Amino acid sequence: MVQAKKILVVEDEPHLAKGLKFNLEHEGYEVVVAGNGEAALEFMNGQTFDLMILDLMLPKMGGIEVAKKIRETDTRFPILMLSAKSTDEDRATGLESGADDYLAKPFHLPELLLRVKGILRRWDWYKQPIHGQEIFHFGEMWINFATGKAKGCSGEFLLTAKEALVMKLLISKKGQVVAREDLLETVWGYDRQTETRTVDNFIARLRKHFEKKPQKPRFIVTVREKGYQFDPDS
Amino acid sequence: MRKLKALFHPIFIFIGVQVAWIVLMAVWIDWYLKNSRKFQEFAQKIRPDLFADELNWLILLEGCLLMLIILAGVYIIFVYWNKQARLNRLQSNFVSSVSHELKSPLASIQLYLETMKYQKVSKEDAADFVEIMLTDTERLDSLINNILESSKYDPKKMQLQFQPVNLGVFLREVVEGLKRQFEERNCKVKLEIQEDYVLSLDRRSMQMVFNNLIGNALRYSPIGSPLTIRMQKKKKFCEIDFIDQGMGLGKKNRKKIFKKFYRVTNQESNNIEGAGLGLFISKEIVRTHKGQMRVFSEGPGKGSVFTVALPMGKNSNRKIAANGGGE
Repeated sequence: MVQAKKILVVEDEPHLAKGLKFNLEHEGYEVVVAGNGEAALEFMNGQTFDLMILDLMLPKMGGIEVAKKIRETDTRFPILMLSAKSTDEDRATGLESGADDYLAKPFHLPELLLRVKGILRRWDWYKQPIHGQEIFHFGEMWINFATGKAKGCSGEFLLTAKEALVMKLLISKKGQVVAREDLLETVWGYDRQTETRTVDNFIARLRKHFEKKPQKPRFIVTVREKGYQFDPDS
Repeated sequence: MRKLKALFHPIFIFIGVQVAWIVLMAVWIDWYLKNSRKFQEFAQKIRPDLFADELNWLILLEGCLLMLIILAGVYIIFVYWNKQARLNRLQSNFVSSVSHELKSPLASIQLYLETMKYQKVSKEDAADFVEIMLTDTERLDSLINNILESSKYDPKKMQLQFQPVNLGVFLREVVEGLKRQFEERNCKVKLEIQEDYVLSLDRRSMQMVFNNLIGNALRYSPIGSPLTIRMQKKKKFCEIDFIDQGMGLGKKNRKKIFKKFYRVTNQESNNIEGAGLGLFISKEIVRTHKGQMRVFSEGPGKGSVFTVALPMGKNSNRKIAANGGGE
């Protein structure tokens, strides 16, 4: 039997926390509820979780702070942020602080469940080693997908969760063209607010890490009107 | 960018205007002193009668008056500008906290409704969900009342219907109505009512005052912290104390918390819901009852006591034994 996925719900509104727990348990997940940021971090130290649903407005330590604290030690643990703040700026702040996804309150239950499923699926896919190994070498550089560490043109650094996912998809399909839409679907999941331009921005960032001349890329090549292609041997 | 914005703060602009004006004066005086001899020589040749020895007091006075008027003008502009800036800031704070306040119960109601629509829910769970949704609608209702009430704080516009109310019974009813909230925060309420008094009150607005005070005590106290509500007679007033063991208040905040839109901002209270209206409205309501509202706190972290003092009118100090109950 497959072990149930464990979700940590960090929500100070008792009503919402109870409703979330009820629904997630109905879907077969194991749920732990933390009423504030400090309790959440304590739970994180003692147990392993597959996902965190994090409210932004928490007493004492806010959600943004919690996300940043987690990102200090773990760059890839999946976090879904919930917030009553719904402007684009709030969304951007949430995502910048390290959340993988952002959902504004009030939300639709099916959408929440879909997003949870999506994040967990991506995380599962990410955890499988590619080409039978966790560390992938190309040129003088390498990426360790287990730790998120990588060596680029200017030394070692940590990849963010999304950067790692993009690299993983490109590398797992090396030599083939990966369409922007496929990248969006796999890395960002279904989200009306993400545009294909976002993908281009991420590719530009990755080229800065891995290409000596980002203007004339050697490894991450643009295939006109189709998408991107990773070429380790070029 | 933020530093650049800070330069446009009214106080910096005020100082800037003053500095600019003093510098201009200094430049002018410097220029005048350097050239005054030449002017004098020039003037002596043309109209020597101008150099009378006596000082022209009238002109000096006029000059001083003009300077005073300019200074006063700048000062008045500064004061109003500052006021406007403060109001703008408060208003944007208000909008963001109110939208949060409205969305939280709404999100909860939507979640439970959709749960009942999409999931298989047992009868007991469904009954529980309905209770939760009702509490949320109450919360929405009291917030909307607060917002509506705050826009007509002019006592003449408040339509109060005074009627004799047994305060002890009324308090017990209010506490009973908030039972679920007390349970959720694991809060033990102690009601200390020695004697019941009948006062002339507007039930609806006074309930808002008590709801606001109790709601604040719950939100600004840790879970499991007790609340004492004490009613006693002091001279010509009937005083109701709401004693919590929560965050308490510093001296500065004690004065400001009754202002419209004002909210205590520190690390602890950072993410506590609220629109900065409850205490403002409560004070206005108590004032229209010719009463007073006070707060006492030994300091941050030491709990606080909010007191509502209502006057005992001539007809209203009819005492009823505590256990007698009923109005």
